Amino acid sequence: MGKRILAWGAAAILAGLSTTAAMPARAAGTDIRIVLPEDVDLLEPCMATRSNIGRVIFQNVNETLTEYQARDDGGDLQPRLAETWEQQPDGSWRFHLRQGVTFSDGSAFDAGDVKHSFDRAMSDQISCETPRYFGGMTVEAVVVDDHTIDFRADPAQPILPLLLSMVTIVPAETPVEFVRDPVGTGPYAVSEWTPGQRIVLTRREGCWGAEPQVTSATYVVRPDPAVRAAMVQTGEADLAPSISLIDATNPATDFPYLDPETVYLRLMHDVAPINDVRVRKALNMAIDREAFIGTLLPEGAQLAVALFPPTTAGSNPAVQVPAYDPEGARQLLAEAKADGVPVDTEIRLIARTAQYPNVTEVMEAMQQMLTEAGFNVKLQFYEVAEHESFYTKPYPKDQGPYMLAAMHDNSRGDPAFTMYFKYDSEGLQSGMADPKANDLIARASAATGDERVRLWQELVAYLHDEVVADVLLFHMVGYARVAERLDFRPSIATNGQLQLSQIGFH
Amino acid sequence: MLTFLRKRAVGSLISLIGLVVLVFFLSRLTGDPTALFLPVDATVEMREQFRALHGLNDPLLVQFGHYVRDLLHLDFGDSLRKARPAIEVVTEAFAWTLQLALITMSIVTILAIIIGALAAWRGGLFDRVASILSLIGASAPDFWVAIVGIVIFSVSLGWLPTSGTGTVWHWILPVAVLFIRPFGLIVQVVRGAMMTALSSAYVKTARAKGVRARPIIFVHALRNAMLPVITVIGDQAAALLNGAVVIETIFGFPGVGKLMIDSILQRDFNVVMAAIMVTALAIFLMNVLIDIAYALLDPRIRH
Repeated sequence: MGKRILAWGAAAILAGLSTTAAMPARAAGTDIRIVLPEDVDLLEPCMATRSNIGRVIFQNVNETLTEYQARDDGGDLQPRLAETWEQQPDGSWRFHLRQGVTFSDGSAFDAGDVKHSFDRAMSDQISCETPRYFGGMTVEAVVVDDHTIDFRADPAQPILPLLLSMVTIVPAETPVEFVRDPVGTGPYAVSEWTPGQRIVLTRREGCWGAEPQVTSATYVVRPDPAVRAAMVQTGEADLAPSISLIDATNPATDFPYLDPETVYLRLMHDVAPINDVRVRKALNMAIDREAFIGTLLPEGAQLAVALFPPTTAGSNPAVQVPAYDPEGARQLLAEAKADGVPVDTEIRLIARTAQYPNVTEVMEAMQQMLTEAGFNVKLQFYEVAEHESFYTKPYPKDQGPYMLAAMHDNSRGDPAFTMYFKYDSEGLQSGMADPKANDLIARASAATGDERVRLWQELVAYLHDEVVADVLLFHMVGYARVAERLDFRPSIATNGQLQLSQIGFH
Repeated sequence: MLTFLRKRAVGSLISLIGLVVLVFFLSRLTGDPTALFLPVDATVEMREQFRALHGLNDPLLVQFGHYVRDLLHLDFGDSLRKARPAIEVVTEAFAWTLQLALITMSIVTILAIIIGALAAWRGGLFDRVASILSLIGASAPDFWVAIVGIVIFSVSLGWLPTSGTGTVWHWILPVAVLFIRPFGLIVQVVRGAMMTALSSAYVKTARAKGVRARPIIFVHALRNAMLPVITVIGDQAAALLNGAVVIETIFGFPGVGKLMIDSILQRDFNVVMAAIMVTALAIFLMNVLIDIAYALLDPRIRH
């Protein structure tokens, strides 16, 4: 009896295995599979500037009026749903919209949709990401006719077309609450979303613009980088936009790309001994930045002299990375000490656990270098929430001198997305208060063209060489694994978006 | 039996209420979720609006009052991150965890009892091999076993998918990895309990009467050895019901363990509360089943 039961059980299992599935389906033809590192908790268009959401829907499902095309060698602003735009004499901007565009629900795209999209994204009834780009100004969208819309900003915004590259367009009927079935004008529509398992985008027929080669994309999430890399290797996926350095071993499929994240130590200028510029200079001279690259950090990481990527207009190539000079750092500390600066005070180096690969080793090495140069440094690691309390105002009081190891992402193409927050006296993450820096930030933010670039460059040099605002360290790189059948190379934009229309096949 | 179950239900309800109060206030002590939900460069106005929108400006006791009021209407609130009912998010994830736990524990229980009992009965080489393997299994780090399993069976041999869900094949590696530790542990317990049972007077009597080996092992000895085994099975199953975070992370299984960890780190309080209540309820039900099993196996407990 027992044997018979066992035999039936084995037969049932074998039958189940053979009928349910052979091996899992491999991606084939023009359907592709993409494996992402983070779960997608929302598919809300006004949250598409968040990288985990943006990689799925930004420009694939929901498009913008303008598009900042970030490239490793620079970037520029291109038309998307607006064909042209110009600044009016009163400082407002007029956008002429593309005609003949339809949403995936079949409705026609017009200026009313743009106004609703902007008002919805800025509404205090939902917590969209969009208002972060419009701080310190009021902006009103005014419909001129079905295909023309004005944006009036107070004060006037010279980079308003760039700011609108962050505002995704939804139909005027979209409710002012987070939606789970985004409707957009993009070349793809969401055809399936099983939370925690997969999202499928399918190419729309008759969409405006050239027809993309990818017919459908299935997104799955695997938090472990080794598994993501293995999935592309075994053919279970075609593209893993983020794998770890140690898995990037195959030159045919693994490609580095400049990450818009910049690593730095934010200094608090109001507490001794960091309030002395000689101490800040000594901190910069005490760290051997080159020693980290190719060892604890990937080979392609670049040394930073500003908090935004060197491809941004406003970068200053004349600013040089401080030379590693521990002896010089010791001399500066001795000079400061002779003038009564308490250089022996313990300075905390506060870092965030698991912020990037090898962060523990990187911070320990920095602590060692700073100690060898004569600093009294104590290293502390915090989880994200505690770290955040030191990162953003209001800062905790009576903390003594500390340096905060942090990362900043600016892939938006203009230093304005960095400078006010990080260096203005009122900036939410600023550790300094310098009237000249405030003035330069205000003037650069209001300037246009070459004058704007010149002022940002002047500010970069001033902050780096004279104020010695912080300890700028590295522009990071990421690695992507791309199946050999795909014609795609990752770029600086890959961190926040993944346009399927840019993927081809060999 | 009904009185016994009623008493257990009342006791568990009191524990659950205590748990709700404790988790509500302890989770709020970690801070408010504004800083984690909004981008780091969010304006002051955005932060204020977010707090107002989600009632985070209200005094803690008022927030607790609102929560209890909603809970009495079986409304667990919405997930902050996912903008959908927290209970929906949790039950979806819990269904995966439950399947994983049921499949794994069924296989573990059957095989561990057979191997453990035979090891105790036969002794010699079989016992030594079973003991060594079960010890290795009980102490093997599951993240390591999982990655090695993927490298061997998925990348090198191409027999199994690396991760994910969808087919029977997807379950083999996660179940196999989850199987190892409880299997090792339960084999040890079964072997120990069986050795005690097999050396008892009633087994010697049965042998003297000429009863065959199989009835002695599986009818006389095993039934008496099962009480400690059931306790350990219950412990292991409870651990699996709380989620297998490592397995869920590596194999991309959308279970409740990783959901709970992520929700705690992101301060998605409603999901944390719902997840704790659902798992607590499941563990309570499992304990009831264990109590029933005790009573069935040992008439002294019934009476």
